[in-house]
Amino acid sequence: MARTVRRPVKRLALVLITVVSGVPVLAGLGMTLLKALNPAAWSVVWSTPGIWSSLILSLWTGTASTVFALFIAHLTVALAGPARWTGRLRAVILPLLALPHLAIGIGLALLLAPSGLILRLLSPWLTGFAQPPDWRIIQDPLGLSLIIGLVTKEAPFLALMLLGALAQVPSEPLMLASRTFGYGRLKSWLVSVAPALQRQIRLPIAAVFVYGATNVDMAIPLGSQTPPPLSIVLWQWYTDSGLDLQDAAYAGSILLLGATALGLISLAGAGRAGAALLRRVATSGRRAAADRTLRRAIVSLPLAVAILGGGALLALALRATSRMWRFPRVFPEHLGWNAFADSAPAAASPLAMTLAIATLVAIAAVALTLTVVELLSDNPRWTRAVGLWLFLPLVVPQLAFLFGLTWLMTRLRLEGTLLAVMWTHVLFALPYTWGILVTARAALDPRYQLAARVLGAAPLRAWWTVTAPLLTRSTLLAASLAFAVSAALYLPTLFTGAGRIVTIATEAASSAASGALHIAALYGALQAALPLLAFAVASTAGHFVYRRFGGVPR
Amino acid sequence: MNSLGFRNVQLRLGDRLLFAPLTLIVEPGVVASVTGPSGSGKSTLLSYACGALPAAFTGSGDILLGERRLNGMNPEDRRLGLLFQDDLLFPHLSVADNLAFGMRRSTLRRVERRQRIAESLASLGLQGFEPRDPVTLSGGERARVALLRVLLSGPSAVLLDEPFSRLDAATRAQTRAVVFEGIRRHSLPALLVTHDAEDVVAAGGPVAQLQLSQEI
Amino acid sequence: MVLGQATALLTALFGLGLAGAAEAADPPRPALSEWSTTEARARGTTVYFNAWGGDDSINRYIAWAAVEVGHRYGVTLVHVKVTDIAEAVSRILAEGAAGRTSGGSVDLLWLNGANFASLRRANLLYGPWADDVPNARWMDARGNPTTIVDFAMPTGGYELAWGTARLTLFYDSDAVANPPRNPQELLVWIRAHPGRFTYPRPPNFLGTSFLKQLLVLLASDRQALRRPVGSDFELITRPLWQWLDAAAPNFWRHGRLYPPSGPAQRELLATGEVDWAMAFNPAEASRAIQRGELPRTIRATTFRGGALTNSHFLAIPFNARSPDGARVIANFLSSPEAQARKADTAVWGDPTVLDVAALPAADRRRFRPVDAEGAPSATGTPIADLDASWMTALERAWLARYGVR
Repeated sequence: MARTVRRPVKRLALVLITVVSGVPVLAGLGMTLLKALNPAAWSVVWSTPGIWSSLILSLWTGTASTVFALFIAHLTVALAGPARWTGRLRAVILPLLALPHLAIGIGLALLLAPSGLILRLLSPWLTGFAQPPDWRIIQDPLGLSLIIGLVTKEAPFLALMLLGALAQVPSEPLMLASRTFGYGRLKSWLVSVAPALQRQIRLPIAAVFVYGATNVDMAIPLGSQTPPPLSIVLWQWYTDSGLDLQDAAYAGSILLLGATALGLISLAGAGRAGAALLRRVATSGRRAAADRTLRRAIVSLPLAVAILGGGALLALALRATSRMWRFPRVFPEHLGWNAFADSAPAAASPLAMTLAIATLVAIAAVALTLTVVELLSDNPRWTRAVGLWLFLPLVVPQLAFLFGLTWLMTRLRLEGTLLAVMWTHVLFALPYTWGILVTARAALDPRYQLAARVLGAAPLRAWWTVTAPLLTRSTLLAASLAFAVSAALYLPTLFTGAGRIVTIATEAASSAASGALHIAALYGALQAALPLLAFAVASTAGHFVYRRFGGVPR
Repeated sequence: MNSLGFRNVQLRLGDRLLFAPLTLIVEPGVVASVTGPSGSGKSTLLSYACGALPAAFTGSGDILLGERRLNGMNPEDRRLGLLFQDDLLFPHLSVADNLAFGMRRSTLRRVERRQRIAESLASLGLQGFEPRDPVTLSGGERARVALLRVLLSGPSAVLLDEPFSRLDAATRAQTRAVVFEGIRRHSLPALLVTHDAEDVVAAGGPVAQLQLSQEI
Repeated sequence: MVLGQATALLTALFGLGLAGAAEAADPPRPALSEWSTTEARARGTTVYFNAWGGDDSINRYIAWAAVEVGHRYGVTLVHVKVTDIAEAVSRILAEGAAGRTSGGSVDLLWLNGANFASLRRANLLYGPWADDVPNARWMDARGNPTTIVDFAMPTGGYELAWGTARLTLFYDSDAVANPPRNPQELLVWIRAHPGRFTYPRPPNFLGTSFLKQLLVLLASDRQALRRPVGSDFELITRPLWQWLDAAAPNFWRHGRLYPPSGPAQRELLATGEVDWAMAFNPAEASRAIQRGELPRTIRATTFRGGALTNSHFLAIPFNARSPDGARVIANFLSSPEAQARKADTAVWGDPTVLDVAALPAADRRRFRPVDAEGAPSATGTPIADLDASWMTALERAWLARYGVR
């Protein structure tokens, strides 16, 4: 009986998740393509001075940030070694991962600029600077500050993905095997574990590259102006009051899409070449056993990422609580509650909006994910296919489908509604909730459900009384991640919200774009605090749920 | 009590037939054994019996309780108790709640249910175990609680999937005795899947040897 | 406040449904006597006021107005903070192109110059309405013609003047002993102090205005600037580019990086990265000093030759959901009470567009004299703004020369 009920329900859930996730992406992309079929728009694109430098800068930023982030992620996971350390590493990484790009970007600008926190600490006693030096460290033409910002965010992300993949790879026996042959720890990792892991995280790497090459969030505070990254050019065109430039934005986003696709292909090629090189290294016979010094030196890299992240947060907090911060003072003149309290009331309404949207989005994304994951639990092939489909919004450049999607929504009179905004947010939250809950569901012994069934529980009761409780902690984690994703989203909120849905993210971005750093820092600090809060709540709640029972999965 | 019957049961993995057609009747109070090399489909046979055959397999042949065909029924409606290789006590429920999970709601009132649980725990030397977290129990204790959970759910037959293989030698003999004794006391037909010769001897019932089928 | 948010939230959520309702109530052009009907229709509506949100003081002023119109007229004002009003203009243009003739996303917007011209030419503005709101009668049209001629384009009742702006420079008196009186002296100072001068990056409104200010003072033929841009653009602007070429290597970051806005540059001045900032508001520096956002050594100045002056306006898009609510808010914002508060340097310091002398005595007393501290050392004669076409032309030329290097 249940079986006959289940099939239509399963179909419905599949259709729902497909429609919610990939269809808007593809429809938006199609619309952008249609709007780009306009020779006049392309002639504007081609005749824009510096368009090629912008494009090259974008691709360079994406490539360099991906390579560095991947490098650091591998080293971090390799050095973490045994399981008890990886557990702690995961606990540190998760909140880091949830910090919004924009907030970290603003914080890094306040940390690294010539008048930033680092130089203040060294001036004037060491540097002799009474005035900030006229250096172009931030928004430099080579995109280095932007790359540093991206690596600070993406290295933790990739490290987390590697930790997840570690569960699928027998890393400890592999490491042990190569170490008994006399290989050093780093080389053992490099030649025996890394290649296997690498295969598992291709998709996240693609997402990191696409984000690095096409994002606006981090390019606002850290991207160069001459030339600007292509994403910034497109964003400016799209919001220009001239219709010809708006059309050019559609065409330009297709250019960005094509270039990103080419970039991905060459990255995959480079990956293959790298693997071949690695094989040669593996069979060279060199043991590289004495790697202790190297290992010590390498610890500094993940450490640097952590320090940059922490320093950025500190600088954010300092600027948010001060009215003026003259160089070379380490602490602002009137540090204190007043400056914060002055501007804070204006933040109340965006804060309420952000909380409302993020909460609803977290609930919707988790509910949808749980349902579909459950219905597909006996079908790994479909589960994998849906996972790939849900990943679509992360590997297609945001601008390329958001332009078209916004146009569609304007047509359907959906733009500017909460529904439209939350829909796009769910779209971006689903790959994360899916990733967490599929893994957690797969790790559950399927015989628990069978045991419940043969003890007389109908499928729904078996799910509700056995599967759901055992997934509680993962569900809380997934919900807090969805919350964090929603709270961080800028472009999707701005576009589909028609500027009328005002959140912490849109406020932070618009004040950062106009260079009002005190306000930007205030909103950035709030934006950073929200996901941390969500994680704190989730982990506290998770701590209390079934805490008497040692066997419940954590 | 009714007998548990298998009539012409065959399982296929894709096109491959796993074993020659099986026909077997297990009378109440008897523990029959099914043995066979790994990969011969022993555990899958039990999944088929309780209506949870994995999607990759297909099966045919009747599962009978007395004269009643169980084919096509949902697992929760077949009333077949299943004891696994691992005890599979629900980790988020106390021992008492685990036992209460399988008890039919209609049968007894709350107080009586609680009393039944206490009595049955006591009968196997587990007095006062109600509030315990399953994770804190020893292997033998867990196996006994799992048995009680099945017996209290009021099954019409019991299926055992190598339930003693994870226990150490000393506990194994003792637990085996307790389980078989419980099944016999309730006069339930039981089918034991195992590759342990001692299990087969202790079961004492008929033995079916699954042969790897040559047929395609 | 909470109720207002809830309404806004609901409106946003059920925007679809409300759009239809607004469509039905297409208002006729009301005479002054019909104003009370307008107010009655406006009650309960939500007005999305798209206004530049880059300045904290202005945002607070708008928040104050939101509370007032909520209490007095039952209109919910939602400030949609935009980085550049061109964002809102582009959205209206897109809605126009998509054929969305009602239920638009913008109800009221703060603009002038090229943005007004572009919407007006595309026929995407509601109106004419601006001459019919009650407070329009106090406008200082004679004393301040920029209130009815916006960048050489007559307003025609499609926008209502809100404030007047005069381009003013601010400097740190510790670093600048004698403020330059003209562009030539400024160039001398810049060359002597490399890395300490900059201006907001065009097409930022203030940045482009600084270019126009320089152009007016450097151009040989000022009359040509009152006319639309012609084929002699290169010839007329040559002195400007010569000045910039000479100064740029000595700008902050060698002229390769510019602050994105006026407040951004003010922040650089406050931090000590540069010694100059600029604003369209003569009182901005004194206000910032009072608030502890700028050091006490900051002074204001204008060039001897005059300061670029223009007005900024409020307009209603053709497809606004609540044109009545928008008009009620616009009328409130041009009331003597709201204008006096806006002119107060402790609040915003934006000069009024009203003819204060013509006001009733009680209203006249609301306007306080400008605070002395940080006030312009020279008020400078007003220079009316250039024809709107110059703005776009200058921006394009600037971007081609300095924007991509």
